[in-house]
Amino acid sequence: MRKGDYLGNFELMLLLALLRLGEDAYGVTIAQELEQQTGREVVVASVYATLERLQERGLVTSSLGEATPERGGRAKRYFRITADGTREVRDARRSLMNLWKGLPELRGENA
Amino acid sequence: MTSKQPPRIATWMLKHFGCGPNNDAVLGDLAEQYREKNSALWYWRQAMEAIPVSLFKEIRAHKPIAARALLIGWVTWILGGTFIFPLAFFRTNVRYGFQSSHPVGSAWSFMWMAVLGPGKVHHSPAYFVLAVALPLIVGAMSGWLVARLHRDQQTSVVLLFAGSILVMDLLLLGPFVLTVGAPVTYLFAGPLAANVAGSILGILLGSGLFRPLRTSSET
Repeated sequence: MRKGDYLGNFELMLLLALLRLGEDAYGVTIAQELEQQTGREVVVASVYATLERLQERGLVTSSLGEATPERGGRAKRYFRITADGTREVRDARRSLMNLWKGLPELRGENA
Repeated sequence: MTSKQPPRIATWMLKHFGCGPNNDAVLGDLAEQYREKNSALWYWRQAMEAIPVSLFKEIRAHKPIAARALLIGWVTWILGGTFIFPLAFFRTNVRYGFQSSHPVGSAWSFMWMAVLGPGKVHHSPAYFVLAVALPLIVGAMSGWLVARLHRDQQTSVVLLFAGSILVMDLLLLGPFVLTVGAPVTYLFAGPLAANVAGSILGILLGSGLFRPLRTSSET
């Protein structure tokens, strides 16, 4: 496997958030989804920096949305996961599940 | 509605120093979230973290361009410092000499000549003005050129160049402080700080990073 093929933790979380949000995935909703699911505050700029990297790898696409007054007249950027991105998530899940299995230290916890 | 307006200074800083194609979207997201959270502290934290995050992302994504920008900026800075400063001190008793083996050190010496020169230099207001104005001019020249030649990555390469000048100043200032000792350092602390600030401000001004920007809806 080539270097850089593995998804990082935050990358994987972002791809899962995109899958959960579907059509409504943009900076605010992605950050809120991650904060709700992880209980940690998310830096919005980190979300974009990581999504740009995933976009360069062809795992995510983006498009500009509407500009609204509550955003100071700035457009939203919507993100969607690609087929390659979904495949990467599946591969990561399989790898993690295999590593998870049979570990006495983690017995009783759900993967 | 006033309380729903995000902190202006933080917004201005992110607008002018944030890098990358998604900076406008980040600003919009923060403005939208601020209406719910209504926390200036949260907004400041997000905005101040966004600047280095976007800066490093841009530099990492465009390493050869960043390297070229640094090279161009430094060459211009050294040439500017080497030629403009001695001209400013023409007819004075300040001695100078450019050493090709130490171009950075030579240019740096010229830059600080007005501050550290011989005699009663530091007591003269005119020299203090020179100590700020000359690095400002040299910084503006090099910042302008770096920005002009790298329009697509303008913000990130200009900030990188300004940061490298600041690091160089601090690295050279350290040995100076150790050499001359604390009392002399206190004497020169104000002019030196003004001199360094002049360099950085010049780069940012010359590059045009302070110019008013339009939002996506205005373009």
